[in-house]
Amino acid sequence: MLSVKGLRANVGENEILTGLDLEVGPGEIHAIMGPNGSGKSTFSHVLSGREGYEVTAGSVTFEGQDLLALEPEERAHLGVFLAFQYPVELPGVNNTYFLKAALNSIRKARGESELDAVSFLRLIKEKLKILHLNDSLLKRAVNAGFSGGEKKRNEIFQMALLEPKLAILDETDSGLDIDALRVVADGVNALRSPERSMIVVTHYQRLLDYIEPDRVHVLAKGRIIRSGGKELALELEEKGYGWILEQEQAA
Amino acid sequence: MNGASPTSFDTWLSARADGEAGAGLDWLEAQRRSALDQVREQGVPGTKQEAWRYTSLKRLIEQGFARVEDEVTALQLQDIEELLIPGLDSHRVVMVNGRYTPSLSALGDLPRGVRVTGLRALLASDPDALRERLNGVTGESQPLFAALNMAGLDDGLVVLLDRGATLERPIELIHLSVGMDEPRVAQPRHLVSLADGAQATLIERYVSLGESLYCTNSVLELSLGRDAVLKHDRIQVESLNAFHITGLYLSQGAGSRYVGVNIGLGAAWARTDLVARFSGEHAECDLQGLYLAGDRQLMDYHIDVNHALPSCSSRETFKGILYGKGRAVFDGRVVVAKDAQKTDAAMSNKNLMLSENAEIDTKPQLEINADDVKCSHGTTVGQIEPEKLFYLRSRGISAPFARRMLCLGFAEEIIDALHSDALREAVSEEVGRRLETAPLT
Repeated sequence: MLSVKGLRANVGENEILTGLDLEVGPGEIHAIMGPNGSGKSTFSHVLSGREGYEVTAGSVTFEGQDLLALEPEERAHLGVFLAFQYPVELPGVNNTYFLKAALNSIRKARGESELDAVSFLRLIKEKLKILHLNDSLLKRAVNAGFSGGEKKRNEIFQMALLEPKLAILDETDSGLDIDALRVVADGVNALRSPERSMIVVTHYQRLLDYIEPDRVHVLAKGRIIRSGGKELALELEEKGYGWILEQEQAA
Repeated sequence: MNGASPTSFDTWLSARADGEAGAGLDWLEAQRRSALDQVREQGVPGTKQEAWRYTSLKRLIEQGFARVEDEVTALQLQDIEELLIPGLDSHRVVMVNGRYTPSLSALGDLPRGVRVTGLRALLASDPDALRERLNGVTGESQPLFAALNMAGLDDGLVVLLDRGATLERPIELIHLSVGMDEPRVAQPRHLVSLADGAQATLIERYVSLGESLYCTNSVLELSLGRDAVLKHDRIQVESLNAFHITGLYLSQGAGSRYVGVNIGLGAAWARTDLVARFSGEHAECDLQGLYLAGDRQLMDYHIDVNHALPSCSSRETFKGILYGKGRAVFDGRVVVAKDAQKTDAAMSNKNLMLSENAEIDTKPQLEINADDVKCSHGTTVGQIEPEKLFYLRSRGISAPFARRMLCLGFAEEIIDALHSDALREAVSEEVGRRLETAPLT
């Protein structure tokens, strides 16, 4: 489904990604872990098409298409979704209006009919139920004045509504207390399906207590230096990143 | 000044074929003459005058606008149907080229103590009701365009509320401009007077049929008695070739409250002067505005609020969206007199620039002569933030649509302040429509 080969990317003069390889199959959940500055967020941003990154080598193929050649909205139309580490506040933009605009933009791009107000509200209610959320977020401006937990929940809600094929969760656990973390993780788990792959980017193992990955990768200095099953995350939790970096250097 | 340029407003004041309003009233003749003298005395101000520093009158003068001569009688209700706002339930007054047109108006039932009529008609039937009110707020000595308006006085909307009278539905003034064979100027003068404790909502809309060249020079004299409340929405969507001038003069009694929301979207050249004075303490004046300026458009706002008495509050909140080669001016001035303690004044002007070729001159000024006051002012000029744009695009929303959503989000605060849902919806749609074709360079 997603194939990343030898990806190199710069921010300004600095090379952040230094040859990253990753294969994600349908329905799989991959965790990408790594210390600060290892390139985790850069990787998320390059996948979703954010400006400010220059890809110098390698390729990203999503369902046979060259993802890097596409605009951010075109990637979303294909089913790529980024849950932001820092969701952006949009004062004056009503959340319901935003959600409807997003959903209908994607439907239109896929040649489907746009949802009318009634069908849209029905869908919203259904999704709220799945995630055990109430509708208080809908009436407010997008993320404006939301608490950290509310922002992350709003991200997961958007994911539920837009039903992506590939969701990238960029440090979704950062800044959340344990209760908020559980709510978000429950939401993510409710959205697991054989057709939906996820890349869970995180610094800490604790999110993986709630979202169980199929594969765990360690990212360091811009590339994946170790891959394994979920037990790799536990090992990292126990020993920290130091031992793996040392092993890498020795090798 | 170039010697070849026309330098006067003589054409604005030619005689009307169907006779002058209030002909034969000595007091009115005297006021007209006085106004005319003031026009001649003031001449055409150049950009060295502070009030016209950023805005040249050259383009306006060069048009040589002639005074509207005749009434437009051919219009029928079906011709203006497209101009009505669906779901807006109002006492409707329609003026065409400055003249009150009863056949297009729908006043409906007015409650006791409320009088809504045309100025010209009232000058004929009950001139004494107007004698103290014409120039009552502006004063006899007035700025150039108010004096011009007085010298060419013809018609306008008159709204008089007796003590304690309350209007449930808004009064909606639709000022419609219809292109004539040569460029014409209409100069309506509207008088709104709320006696003590009266309450009303006024909606003013300046619209046109077609994109013709004309000029509207309107003056509003608004007078609020003790504890009166006036909510006032103004929507200017003149033809993109038109010139629009508004002078709004407001006098507020003790404890009165005025909320004015100015939406400026149309006209090639638009100048708005908002002038507020307090005649009693604890009055509140809330002036808000949203303007869009695109290619070949100039939006010029001048605000002059004078806190001469203690314990009044004023808010001036204006937002602008500029694109293409659009230009705007915000010149806000709030003066707090020495004795005006406990004044609460806050002025803000925020601008969103969608292109590098757009231009804004913003100059909020506070002059504070008292020591126990709460005053603030701020101004911002910014662009659409890339991270906001990316957030929307990452959700599948195209870049142009995302930009429009962010602009509307920026404008939302002001649109939301309008006093009816139907109007909010109509303005939001109109702003969206204009942004859809807005050039970004």
